[in-house]
Amino acid sequence: MARDWQPDFEQLVDEHQSMVFSLALRMTGDRGLAEEIAQDVFLALDQSLHKIESPLHALAWLRRVAMSRSADALRRRKVRAMDLWVEIDEHHGALAEETSSPLATRLEQLLATLPEAQRAALVLRYQEDLSPEEIAETLDAPLATVKSHLQRGLKLLRAKASCQLREYIRGV
Amino acid sequence: MEYEPKDDLNDFEKDLRQVMVRRPAPPSLKRKILARRSRQNTDRVRARMLIWQRLAASIVLVAVAGGAYLWHNAEQRRKGEEARQQVLTALRITSRALQQMNEQLADRNRTGE
Repeated sequence: MARDWQPDFEQLVDEHQSMVFSLALRMTGDRGLAEEIAQDVFLALDQSLHKIESPLHALAWLRRVAMSRSADALRRRKVRAMDLWVEIDEHHGALAEETSSPLATRLEQLLATLPEAQRAALVLRYQEDLSPEEIAETLDAPLATVKSHLQRGLKLLRAKASCQLREYIRGV
Repeated sequence: MEYEPKDDLNDFEKDLRQVMVRRPAPPSLKRKILARRSRQNTDRVRARMLIWQRLAASIVLVAVAGGAYLWHNAEQRRKGEEARQQVLTALRITSRALQQMNEQLADRNRTGE
């Protein structure tokens, strides 16, 4: 079967590097590691380019591989996200402030303290604007599990925000 | 700046959506990806060349070993054949000598009568 769409690797990198990098960054909390994961994901894409059938397929493929590579990296390093965010604050704090408000940075730090599965569901929901069904497909998880992760993650994050952000604002 | 976490979960979701915009990738990311891709392609070509070289060397080695085996077999066969011919010649000579002796004995017997 002939394909109308021919994937252009460089164009795919241009279009999706920010998405892949952001997913990896929010999952790992480590800018250097996120950059490494993004490189690996695109190199894997290059190897599988012949299997990619459409721009949407490429997007879904990149999301899925970025999430699974990030999870692998987290498992390999066995570092808690909180510690990583402390590291980021120390090393990349200036950059974070350049690109986003202190409040946004703080909220992301709280996000990083959530359990990995809840964080993954929330990142795909609010960064990528995916439906629970799409998240389940991306994470290869049951829909009910994803819905539960979304609900619990959101409640937990809101509870943490209620406790900590007021204090943070007072401290600024 | 005043932040009050919203009571309504929907409002909190809105805030979250605003906060979680995609971060721009580092400017050097694309360059690094393309450099690693090019390096990987070079390595892949080199690895493929190495496989072909090894395959060619193996074929030559098998051909040389096979040739030597065949030559050895042929040589053995040739030597065997040569030895057989020599034995046959010796038998022919012996047979002829015995026949001559037989004839001489037969002549002597005839003249002795």
